[in-house]
Amino acid sequence: MFRKLFSFAMIALGVLSFAGSVQAAPASFFEGKTVRIIVGLSAGGGYDMWARAIGRHLGKNIPGRPAVIVDNMPGAGSMIAANHVYKVAKPDGLTIGHISGGIILNQILGRPGAEFDARKFEYIGAPYQDDLVVFVAKASGVTSMEKWFAAKNPLKFGGEAPGATFSDNVPRILRVALGLPIKPLSGYKGTAEVKMAVESGEVDGNCLSWESGKATWRKQLDTGDIIPLLQGVAKPVPEIPNVPLAVSFAKTEEARKLIQVGIHEPSVYARPFFVAPGTPKDRVQTLRDAFEATLRDKEFQADLQKARLNPKPVTGEALANVIQGLFDLDPAMKAKLKDVLYK
Amino acid sequence: MLEMVNAFASGFTQVFGWTAFSLMLLGILIGFAVGILPGLGGPSALALMLPFIVKMSPVEAFSFLLGMSAVTNTTGDITSILIGVPGEPSTAATIVDGHPMAKKGEAGRALGAALTSSLVGAIFGAFTLALAIPIIRPIVITFGSPEFFMLAILGLTFVASLSGEGFLKGVLAGGMGLFLSTVGLCQMSGIQRFTFGQIFLWDGIGLVPITIGFFAIPEIIDLAVQGSSIAGERVGKLGGVMEGVKDTFRHWWLVIRCSAIGTFCSIIPGLGAATTQWLSYAHAVQSSPDRERFGKGAVEGVLGPGAANNSTLGGSLITTIAFGVPASVMMAILLGAFIIHGIVPGPDMLVPESRGGHLGLTYSFVWINVISNLVTVVFCFLFLKQLVKVTYIRGSLLIPFIVLLIYLGAFAEKNAFEDIYLVMLFGALGWVLVKVDWPRPPLILGLVLGPLAENRLFLSTDNYGMAWLGRPAVLVILVLTVIGGLYPVLKAFKEKEKKLAAAPSSPQPESGGGVRFDWPAAFSLFIVLAFGLALWESRNFDLRAGLFPWVIGIPVFILGLVQLFKELLGKEKRKSEDHLAHEGPVVSQALANKRTVRISVWIFGYFLLIWLLGFSLGGVLCVFLQLKFGSREKWLLSIILTFIAWAVVYGVFDRILHVPFPVGRLLAWLNLA
Repeated sequence: MFRKLFSFAMIALGVLSFAGSVQAAPASFFEGKTVRIIVGLSAGGGYDMWARAIGRHLGKNIPGRPAVIVDNMPGAGSMIAANHVYKVAKPDGLTIGHISGGIILNQILGRPGAEFDARKFEYIGAPYQDDLVVFVAKASGVTSMEKWFAAKNPLKFGGEAPGATFSDNVPRILRVALGLPIKPLSGYKGTAEVKMAVESGEVDGNCLSWESGKATWRKQLDTGDIIPLLQGVAKPVPEIPNVPLAVSFAKTEEARKLIQVGIHEPSVYARPFFVAPGTPKDRVQTLRDAFEATLRDKEFQADLQKARLNPKPVTGEALANVIQGLFDLDPAMKAKLKDVLYK
Repeated sequence: MLEMVNAFASGFTQVFGWTAFSLMLLGILIGFAVGILPGLGGPSALALMLPFIVKMSPVEAFSFLLGMSAVTNTTGDITSILIGVPGEPSTAATIVDGHPMAKKGEAGRALGAALTSSLVGAIFGAFTLALAIPIIRPIVITFGSPEFFMLAILGLTFVASLSGEGFLKGVLAGGMGLFLSTVGLCQMSGIQRFTFGQIFLWDGIGLVPITIGFFAIPEIIDLAVQGSSIAGERVGKLGGVMEGVKDTFRHWWLVIRCSAIGTFCSIIPGLGAATTQWLSYAHAVQSSPDRERFGKGAVEGVLGPGAANNSTLGGSLITTIAFGVPASVMMAILLGAFIIHGIVPGPDMLVPESRGGHLGLTYSFVWINVISNLVTVVFCFLFLKQLVKVTYIRGSLLIPFIVLLIYLGAFAEKNAFEDIYLVMLFGALGWVLVKVDWPRPPLILGLVLGPLAENRLFLSTDNYGMAWLGRPAVLVILVLTVIGGLYPVLKAFKEKEKKLAAAPSSPQPESGGGVRFDWPAAFSLFIVLAFGLALWESRNFDLRAGLFPWVIGIPVFILGLVQLFKELLGKEKRKSEDHLAHEGPVVSQALANKRTVRISVWIFGYFLLIWLLGFSLGGVLCVFLQLKFGSREKWLLSIILTFIAWAVVYGVFDRILHVPFPVGRLLAWLNLA
C-alpha cells in the first residue's frame, strides 16, 4: 500500500516537474536563475578582472536575463577550478569555468593533477589572446637579434616555476627551437616580481603579452631602456610591425612546430570560458551567442576602455578545434615538448 | 617640489569629496566588523567587495577599499585581546600578552595600548609612504634576491626571542615551520613535495587556516574547560584605558621602532603583517630588560605588534604602488582595483597629475590611511565599555559563534573546503603544543619566511653564482644577523650565570636516573618520527627540490633527538601548572579532561554537520544543538541565537555575498540539492 502511494506520489511529482519545464520554453531556461562564473585564480589578478568585466554584462545578453556572479576558486594554477567544473558542477549551463589554459597543455603532456578531459568541456569562448613578446633590458648589452645569437653569456629570463606561465614556457621553447642563448630562471612569485627584477637588472628579460609589457614599461619602451626584441605571434602586432617574428628564425619543421604548439596556440586557449561536459547543446549555443554579444556590448567596451584593454576574442568553436588539435599531436612531439618545458 | 606639496594637498581634498568620504566611512564600518569577527579576514572581505567598486571613481574606490583594509588590523587586535582568538591572521601576536591581560581584568589597559599604538603605527606608516614617494623606486631597485634572502635569514633569528624559556624547542618549532613551508609544488623544479597527491596542497599550507587553528582552537577549548566567562575576575572600572594610552607614551621608542619594523619589512615582496607582527613582538621581548614577564600580560607585548600590523599597510603600499608587486593578498586585490580603473602601478603613480601621472591619488592613500585609522580609534574608544562586556558573557554562548565563524572564515578565504581540515589539524597541533609547553610563534615565522628564503636563495645563486655573497648590502645584513642572532643567546647565557651566582647550589631537578616517558616526551618522539618519515619521503627529490628540505630537516631531526633524550632523562623542566589556565577559577583535572573531550567532540561535530548538511543548514543546526543540548540554555535564548547565526550565514554570506558554499554531502547523496 505504502509503496503504491509512494510511486503514485513520484509520478505526480514527475508530471508536475515536467509541466513546469514545459512552461519554461528553452529560450528562457535562464530566467530567474543565477549563472556562476568560477575563476580558477585569485581575486585581483588579470583572469579575475576579465571574468568580472564579462560577468557584469553577460546576464543581460542571455535570454531571460539571469543574474551572473563571479567567484574565485584559486589553487594549483586553476587546476582545482577546472576539476570542479568537470566533476562537481552540474551540466546545466549555470556554472561557467574560467581557468588558465596552460593547464590544458599540462594535461596533454601527462602532468599530474588533472582530473578532467579538456576535450569534453563545452567551450563558450575566450575574450582575449595574449600577443607574446620577448622584452629585453638594454642594460643586458643585447639590443638586436644578431647580438643575441652571438651573445657569449646566455640572457637570464625570470619566471615562476617550470610549466607555470608564459614567462616560463616561452624562453624554454625559444632556447631549443631557435638555439638562442637563454637561461630560464624560476622562483619569482608572479609576473610583477619578474618585471621588477628586469628593472633592477637582476634578470635580462621577460616574456609576456604586449599589452602587459606596454602598460608597465611605456616610458622605458620610449627611451629604449627596454626593447621588444622578438614576437611570439603568427601575425605581427600592429604597433610593432618591425619587431621580427620568432617563427621567422625557425630553420627546421620541428622548430616551427615547437613554436606553434608551445607559443602561438597556447595564447589562443590561454583564457577559455567553458561549461561542464554534457551541457545541453542549445544552452551551450545560447551561452556562446551571449558571450559574443557581450564582447560587442557598448557598456562592456566602455568598461574595458576605462581599464585600457582591448578584446581579441576567440569563438567557442575555434577553442574546441585548437584543443582537439593538441590531443592529436604525435607522441614524439609531445615527448619533445615535455622535455623542453619541464626540464 | 612645489608640485609635490600641491599633490599632497590635493590628495587631502580629494578624500573629502562627500561621496569619497562616505564610502570611506562605509568601508571602515565593514572593515570594523570584519576585523572584529574571528576567522573572517580582510583579504576575503576585500575580494567579496570587488563587485561593488566597479562603478566608483578611483578615489572613491580606494577610499572604500583602503578604509576597509586600514582598520581590520586595529579591530582585529580587539578580538585578539578580548577573546584570545585572532580577529585577523595578522593580529595573532597581540594575543600572546594581550589576552592574559584581559584574563587578569586588564582588558581596558590592553585595549587602550593596542588602539593607541595602532594609531601611531598607522600614522608612521602613512607618512613614511608620503616621504618615500620621491625616492622609493631607486632605493627598492638596489635590492635584489640576495638582499631579500638575507633579510629572511635575519627575520629567522627572531625565533630566538620568540622561544620563551625553551630555546631548543623554539628552534625546533621554527624548523617545523620552515619545513612545512616546503609543502606544495616546488617552484625550483616543478615537482610536488609532501602533497600526498592532494592538489589543494599544491600552493602550500595557507597561513589563514594555520593561524586560525593554531590560536583559536586551543583558546576555545580553554574557554570551555574554564566553563566561565573570559575575564576570570571582574574589575570594577575598565582596567585603565587611559593607563594603556599612557603606556604607549611610556614606551614611545619601542612603539616607533616597531612601527618602523612593520613599514620597512613589508616593503619586501612576500612579507605582510602576518610576519611583521611577530618580528616586532620578538623585538619587544628582546629589548625588554625583564623578559620573564612576556606571555603573562606584559603591555610591551601588545604595543609592539599593535603598532607593527598597522604600520605595515604603508610599507605594503610602497611596493604595490611603485612596482605593482603586491606585498600581500590584500594588496593583490587592491591592485586588481587599480587595473579596473585603468591605473597602472609604476612610475606614473609618482608623477603629478599635471604631467599625466597619479601623484594626487597616491597621496590620497596616505590621507585615507591616516583618517580611517583616526576615525576607527575614536570610534573604538567611545564603545570600549560595550566591547569589554564580551569578556563577561558566558563562554557557552560565545563558543558556538566562534566555532562557526572560524570555519566560515577558513572556507571563505579561498572557497576551499579542504582548508577546514587544515584548521582542525593545526588546531589539534596548536593545542598539543600549548599542553607540552612548546612555543607556537616560531612555527608561524618559519612558515612565512620559508618560501622567501628558499626562492631567493636559488635566485641569488642562479643569477649571481657565488658573487652575491660579496654584495655590500648583503654584508651589512649579515653583520646585523650575526649580532641579532648572538645577542639574545649571550644575554640568556649571562642571565643564567647571574642566577647561578645568586643560588650556587641549586640542585638539578632530581630525575632519579630512571627514564621518564610522559606526554611531552611522547610529543618529542612524534616530532622525531615525523621528521624521519618526511626525510625518507624526500629521498627521491632532485637536488633543487631537496636542498632546502634537507638543510632544514636533517638538523631539526638531530635536534629533535636531543630534545627527546632531554625529556626521557628528565632534564627538561616541567611546568607545574597548565600554561593557558593560570588565570581564572581552577578546575579539577578530571573535570577539565571531561570538558576537553566534550568540546573537542563539538568542534568536530560542527565540521561533520557542515560536511553533511552544508553551512546554512548543518552549521546553524549545530549552533542550536550545542546551545540547547550541550550547554542546556533556555529554549528561547537558544532559538534567538540560532536565528542570528542563520541570518548571518544564510542571509549575509549566502544571499548577499554569494559565497559559493558547497552542497552538504548528505544532501548530494539524497539528491536533495
